[in-house]
Amino acid sequence: MIKKELFFWITVSCGIVILAFILLPLIEMLTAPSFSMLKETFKDKDVMRSIWLSIYTAGLAALISFVFGTPLAYLLARTNFTGKKLVESIIDLPIVIPHPVVGIAILSVAGKNHWIGQVFAELGVRIMGSVTGIVTVLTFVGLPFYINAAKNGFESISPRLENVSRSLGASMFSTFFRITFPLAWRSMLIGIIMCSARAISEFGAVVIVAYHPMIAPVMLYERFEAYGLKYSQPVAVWLVSICLALFLILRILTLRNRKET
Amino acid sequence: MIRVENVNIHLGEFTLRDINLAIDENEFFVLMGPTGAGKTVLLEAIAGLISCKSGTIHIRDKNVTKMPPEKRGVSIVYQDYALFPHLTVRENIEYGLHFRKIDRGETGKRFNRMVEILDLGHLLARLPINLSGGENQRVAMARALMVNPRVLLLDEPLSALDPGFREEIRNRLKSLHKNSDVTFLMVTHDFADALSLADRAAVMNNGLIEQTGSMSDIFQRPNSTFVADFVGMKNLFGVNFRDTKACIDELQIELGRTPDNSHGYIAIRPEDIVISKERLVSSMQNSFTGIIKGVIDHGLFYEIKLGLNNVTFRSLITKRSFFEMGICEGMDITFSFKSTAIHYF
Amino acid sequence: MCLDNLAHVIIQKMSERRKNMKAQNFHRWMVYVVITLVIVFFTTVGLAAPKGTLTMFHAGSLSVPLAAMEKAFEAKYPNVDLQREASGSQKAARKIADLKKPCDIMASADYKVIDKLLIPGFADWNVRFAINQLVLCYTDKSAYAKQVGAKNWYEILQKKGVVWGHSEPNLDPCGYRSLMVLQLAEKYYKIPGLYDKLIANRPKENIRPKSVELISLLQTGNMDYAWEYLSVAVQHGLKYILLPDEINLGNYKFDDFYAQAVVKVTGKKPGTFMDIKGKSCTYGVTLIKDAPNREAAIAFLAYMFEPDGGLKILRDMGQPPFVPCRVPTEEMKKKLPAQINKLVEVRD
Repeated sequence: MIKKELFFWITVSCGIVILAFILLPLIEMLTAPSFSMLKETFKDKDVMRSIWLSIYTAGLAALISFVFGTPLAYLLARTNFTGKKLVESIIDLPIVIPHPVVGIAILSVAGKNHWIGQVFAELGVRIMGSVTGIVTVLTFVGLPFYINAAKNGFESISPRLENVSRSLGASMFSTFFRITFPLAWRSMLIGIIMCSARAISEFGAVVIVAYHPMIAPVMLYERFEAYGLKYSQPVAVWLVSICLALFLILRILTLRNRKET
Repeated sequence: MIRVENVNIHLGEFTLRDINLAIDENEFFVLMGPTGAGKTVLLEAIAGLISCKSGTIHIRDKNVTKMPPEKRGVSIVYQDYALFPHLTVRENIEYGLHFRKIDRGETGKRFNRMVEILDLGHLLARLPINLSGGENQRVAMARALMVNPRVLLLDEPLSALDPGFREEIRNRLKSLHKNSDVTFLMVTHDFADALSLADRAAVMNNGLIEQTGSMSDIFQRPNSTFVADFVGMKNLFGVNFRDTKACIDELQIELGRTPDNSHGYIAIRPEDIVISKERLVSSMQNSFTGIIKGVIDHGLFYEIKLGLNNVTFRSLITKRSFFEMGICEGMDITFSFKSTAIHYF
Repeated sequence: MCLDNLAHVIIQKMSERRKNMKAQNFHRWMVYVVITLVIVFFTTVGLAAPKGTLTMFHAGSLSVPLAAMEKAFEAKYPNVDLQREASGSQKAARKIADLKKPCDIMASADYKVIDKLLIPGFADWNVRFAINQLVLCYTDKSAYAKQVGAKNWYEILQKKGVVWGHSEPNLDPCGYRSLMVLQLAEKYYKIPGLYDKLIANRPKENIRPKSVELISLLQTGNMDYAWEYLSVAVQHGLKYILLPDEINLGNYKFDDFYAQAVVKVTGKKPGTFMDIKGKSCTYGVTLIKDAPNREAAIAFLAYMFEPDGGLKILRDMGQPPFVPCRVPTEEMKKKLPAQINKLVEVRD
């Protein structure tokens, strides 16, 4: 075997350090609570309700991103226009803006002091302290993740495939559903996963818009502040375990599909 | 059949200006030119995948300039074939049938014929990723022809192939064309492809069409230095015309006819220059003595560089003749050519 | 300035030395110099007046006056950095008692919180320094803003579509005090069932952990009415309705009437509860027993209790202070540090 040089060992060491950095706090947190505490927390209806709320609002946010973000992602992948870079920067803005600022911004627009808020009030739509508000915030922070992943997916498909499809008689719609989508769906799914992951873990923006109904991170924080580590760790363990399980299932599903094709 | 009139296209770095082309029904038309000339852009414009800034395109007398690609009845086969990777060979070929009214019996027959001609029977259930380059190309052709297009556009179909196969594929293309009533429009940067396949051709350079005509026209009577160079006329000189003579400095070349201009260019094919060790007494009105400046090996033949008064001519000679004549660099040699072999413009 | 010159001299001397010494000796000499400099630096720093970080947990309603006090105090003692954390008062007490977070001073909107949760484990005394009363705040964009007044506020709050709220009773005294006002209103206006009817129109979504959060909800038009302290309403320029003394928890003379209101809040562990009886809003402040920066803390409290210092700021900002501040017993007064002792009187 060829002797490995210093460069190789340095890269391996960095890798080990990073993995340890990520895993050690998580392992510590996951193993800290006792089984009885975990069982008690599982029976706590408020906790389970908040975890379910987190999952379902994140899912909604991902769905909305998918429906509205796909056309934009496709447009960005296929066309060039003046100001395209500006549009791409705007889409990335939610990543850059500090989370509480996002919450404050959305709250300012949603109140009666803003014309949009007045329209909402007339329509009976409530943003502050509502599931609608939570989904709004989560969609805001999750959109860039979906759009960028989907855009990359579309870019990796040669436009020539679409050109041939159209020359053979398919409209843009047919081309999209028969050619582009079947080839890009994996990237779109990855985008959905990333968007949901980002949405589930959002705290700073949501807590400003809606304290009640409580999503899991808010409940975690409230428990921590009010009762300390002992009472918040079990909630964290349940939240992380459920999320990991969901994402793992999703990953396995996509892997199985790849094997089939 | 296809009329391209005064078309201007602006696409990124490509600017096509005042493109005019007329292609007849069932013709095999070749669009030649170096890479970057804009040939693929023009092809895609005819297909409707790129829009024209101005000008019109008519296909069978219908104005298709504003029509989307799916309505034009123009199929395109790309250089990299662009087969749908997630569909089998059969599904690829039958793809276009989803979008038209079809008569099952008729299309079934057409499918079988296509598969037979292109020898795809054993590949129908495979995915494109498991096919060789040549097999890919056959599937792409089948897919394009399956929808009975009026026009088939081919973008450099031979460029990606091993040179050994080129002749075979050229023949296949020729027979496909003959056996169908589709107009073929092919783009290539290789002059030899055009020579063997084209009924008529156009030479494109930098977004402009330099010359259109039959292959013999372009081959023997290029109307610009670019075209002349492109078709391999290696003896291209800027000259002054005096009566029936063309003058390169002191060197006078007999043309046998009087040009209209006072200066221009002459071009002589290297094959038309005959070299001999002694002065030839012949009907060739141009005979000169010069020095062999260099010998270039082209595999099957040698190219001889002949120098005379600072002017370099190039001639071709078979390897056999080369050895029989015992030619080497630095030798004095006589070279001659007919005045009719000289093309001037 | 002189540090600059000193640095120059040192560098000069170093380069001279370097030329004269061999490499090894020079490095050893450098280490000695560095160690000496470090010791000198820290001793000079160590010998100054109140300095360092001063940590204060306090009620959200004190944010604005404390910010002004912080500025004035830091101007007086430039080496002190006062770092404040605002929250509900019970939450602040829990941070100290349960989470053992390091803290020097704790100021509560309800002095009882200090008595119940911090004395005797984490504090020895409790100085009452100001009072407050509850008002109903709103803006001109609020629903029924033009009609609302001291006579009909409880009817408006019951109307469908009116969004009103208060802070979390388990974390913030303003929260349970708001509920007390409502209970007292039922008794004062003699409308049985008024409390339940009002709570029915206040869904959980309208509760926030800290009362000051309600301000931004009012200002953006996300909420129509919110219960807040008068001082806070004044500080933020909100419209408000003054309520009768019998129910506004602002007048200690009505403590017996106030005692009729009782609110259950969570205890130390989830699932346990404790009862809080209504009493006039009296603010308390204390020095935490294991304060990391005791010296600076005492200096700050001394400034805060000065009639022309902190107390004046409180008054200017709409929160009536006790001048002078009070402790309930002589015994407690004895426990006060010297600088504070002279600024406080015994009164219950």
